[in-house]
Amino acid sequence: MSSYERRVAGKRLPRIDGIGKVTGKHVYAADFALPGMLFGKILRSSEAHARIRRLDVARALALPGVRTVLGAGDIPQIRFGTAIKDRTMFAQGEVRFRGEAIAAVAATSLEVAEAAVRAIEVEYEPLPAVFDPEEALLPGAPLVHAGWSDYQALPVFDREGNISGRSAIGDGDLEAGFAQSYRIYEHRFTTQHVHPGYTEPRAAVASWDGNGDVIVWSNTQLPFDMKNMLAEVLDLPASKVRVIVPGIGGGFGGKLRVGVEHYAAWLARKSRRPVKLITTSEEELTDAYPRQPTIVTLKTGVTRDGRLLARQGRVILDCGAFANSGPATAAIALQVLAGPYRTPHLAFEGIAVYTNKGATGSFRAPAGPMANFAVESQIDLIADDLGIDPLEFRLRNVYREGDKGPAGETLASVSIEECLRRAADSIGWSERKPLGKKGHSRGKGIACSWWLTTGGSSGVYVRINPDGTVTLVSGAVELGSGAITGAAQILAEELGVELAQINATDVDTHVSPYDYGAQGSRTAFSVGNACIAAARDLKRQIGALLAGQWNVPADSIRLEAGSVVSGEKRMSLADVAALSQRSGGGLISHGTAIQPMPVFDPNRVRHHPLPAWTSHSFHAHAVELSVDQVTGEVSIDRYVVAQDVGYAINPTYIEGQIEGGVAQGIGQTLSEEIVYDGGRVLNANLTDYKMPTMMDMPRVECILIEKPSVNGPYGAKGVGEPPCIQPPAAIANAVAAATGVRVQSLPITAEKIALRLAGKAGKDG
Amino acid sequence: MTRQALDLTINGESHQLAVEPHWSLLHVLRRELGMTGTKENCLEAECGVCTVLLDGKAVNACILLAEQCRGRSIVTIEGLGDPEHLHPLQSAFIEHGAVQCGYCIPAMILTAKSFLDERRGHVPSEAEVREALSGTLCRCTGYQKIVEAVIAAARQLNSWPEEARRAS
Ligand code: FES
Ligand code: FES
Repeated sequence: MSSYERRVAGKRLPRIDGIGKVTGKHVYAADFALPGMLFGKILRSSEAHARIRRLDVARALALPGVRTVLGAGDIPQIRFGTAIKDRTMFAQGEVRFRGEAIAAVAATSLEVAEAAVRAIEVEYEPLPAVFDPEEALLPGAPLVHAGWSDYQALPVFDREGNISGRSAIGDGDLEAGFAQSYRIYEHRFTTQHVHPGYTEPRAAVASWDGNGDVIVWSNTQLPFDMKNMLAEVLDLPASKVRVIVPGIGGGFGGKLRVGVEHYAAWLARKSRRPVKLITTSEEELTDAYPRQPTIVTLKTGVTRDGRLLARQGRVILDCGAFANSGPATAAIALQVLAGPYRTPHLAFEGIAVYTNKGATGSFRAPAGPMANFAVESQIDLIADDLGIDPLEFRLRNVYREGDKGPAGETLASVSIEECLRRAADSIGWSERKPLGKKGHSRGKGIACSWWLTTGGSSGVYVRINPDGTVTLVSGAVELGSGAITGAAQILAEELGVELAQINATDVDTHVSPYDYGAQGSRTAFSVGNACIAAARDLKRQIGALLAGQWNVPADSIRLEAGSVVSGEKRMSLADVAALSQRSGGGLISHGTAIQPMPVFDPNRVRHHPLPAWTSHSFHAHAVELSVDQVTGEVSIDRYVVAQDVGYAINPTYIEGQIEGGVAQGIGQTLSEEIVYDGGRVLNANLTDYKMPTMMDMPRVECILIEKPSVNGPYGAKGVGEPPCIQPPAAIANAVAAATGVRVQSLPITAEKIALRLAGKAGKDG
Repeated sequence: MTRQALDLTINGESHQLAVEPHWSLLHVLRRELGMTGTKENCLEAECGVCTVLLDGKAVNACILLAEQCRGRSIVTIEGLGDPEHLHPLQSAFIEHGAVQCGYCIPAMILTAKSFLDERRGHVPSEAEVREALSGTLCRCTGYQKIVEAVIAAARQLNSWPEEARRAS
């Protein structure tokens, strides 16, 4: 806990960008427009795997209002991608999923652009396709990328054929562990494609300026990554690409990578006009970056008294037609499988597999919900079989302070036991068999996990203005989480000013300092640390400026309540800033931060891009629900989250992260799925892709635990991603407790439960 | 395509427009008038982010033809309060931490306004608010703080004299 009372940090203060958002004045990328702007539209493949025999754009070009039509032949053939450079802007002679871009049009209105896309003629020659990731692994399966071995890729990944990446973590002697086990359990779990569901579609406006620079206004989460990506695809030096993020209507990991920006930039280049692209719901549900489906198999050996002895597991992750973050996600799944449990003997393997379906990405806590659903469902199955209370079983096995993590790293600030106990107490775990109302059965479930705070560096520029306000220029985007408000609270605390005096600017890669980006629960943590560094530097500058004038030692000078003070001497911060401007260019500093990497044992990990987690957090969820015995419908009566946040920089927005993350988790658990029939999405609209509404959501009760981290600002830990990890397992466990029906495939729809209650479906239903 | 003259009353101001018959109100607001406080997403009446008030009732502007608004009164978020004088709903949303990315928020606030206006003097229950606002998706907040903000705003509005309420 904090050693002294803080004025601004830790307080429930209103966010600094709220007024623009409630008055409709906040400009989002989807709102952005330029005079004379054209509208772009993409022609997409109607086949899952096919050769393009003929592409004829003549009729499209002839339509009045059409300014440019682009296909693969009109631009350089440049492959791009995060882990593997396996994707091109337009399919090069071969389409690999239904929905892949083939051509793009820019026209004076969206209607004309749409008509032009319809007027393009394409002839296909179908190729054998593969949709099931397990089939894709079989010898002789059609290859999604026949030329995979020629692709450039990050060397860490182990690739072959349809395997875009394979990673492993292991320790101990698995065979010996199983041999010593009292019982061994084997289970299989499956999870589905889910969309991040941001309410603002992906959008970009591109325009080329007089210097030959391209300016792209985009709602990307990673402006610096976007800049480099665009430079690659546009074949330009990165300094010629300028990415500006005006406002962003949610991202959740779905707006990390290029989506519409490169089309806008190329169309603008060719048409010599600004071009805007914005995705439709159909495009979002067919060609975006949804969470990958997985198949998780677990084999677990335990002692008679319920201790984990040996665990073996495999995650098969269907990354679709392009790898993107799939190989890294399959690798991160292994830490989720391992923790937060001690296991002397373990071996986990993650395999990312290409199929002829849409690409996938890094939706909030990538790998988290999938792997946790498997582990935490199986823990309940084992505990039930051994006749041990599931909470008690977990408490016997969880990590303790100083334990070794999966890669042999030493774990500090371990709070999993407290999280479990607090969540369990709150849900009334000791009375586990509540009576349901007639026709309903009730049950309680619990699940726990751990997660990382992603590293990467952050820079901020901070300027103290002569009117006493402070300008914070960060390279990190405010996604909505309130992370920049949190960082600003830390800055205000350090500088002795009020939060309302801090203004944060939009990110502009020509101006803003580098930041690794709004991803991985890192923004408030890392930008907050950079703010502390900037504030320290400003204090030094102020000390140097006034020590001579006041004839006092520089280290006697303090900042408090908007003033600079030393003994009896006092000057307002505004006057100091004005003095500095007159005498030396003003009070401005560049603060930076990066998390140190923990020491780990390289023998325990293979082909893993992120072998040891930094500043991990722990959390437990508990739920009480009722199930209609006829329809199988689940209603959640209570939902409790106990999350270790290290230090609650702003409890209100932390609760907001938890409530929103649980909503996404409940969506994944009960209703959301991008349904594929072969290579075709059956529900590419928001009527049939069902996200939770206000009526579907229970009240979420948040318990914030503050066990400080070593590296976070004031001890904070990453907060944003974890809340969507446990809902699938917690709810599955509660449904099983209520009905005896154990559903091992997500989503747990009412139909699956009802069929099982009526005795009509197989075990894995 | 032939454009037709259309007078629209938006936030109390009249706009003389020339519109194509198939244009939605959303298209006219965002593309023709640059009033982007009203948001766009699904364009098929599912997500609710395009909500405006038509004669006081919350409607989805994406499926409403501009032509259907002839002679009627339209209120968008730009017509509610300005940064110096926020409407109580707007202040409550900020105070209760109900705003995250904010993209759904104009729609949430306008829907809440029409709901509260229809039930003057009544402080709604949580269940009533959830039912009334369930037409708009929010992917950030999990809705809880939005519900709290609406109830708090209802309390505050009820303490206002009638004339002040009518003017809001
Ligand atoms: S844009 Fe109108 S309801 Fe979605
Ligand atoms: S605040 Fe982001 S969608 Fe509601």
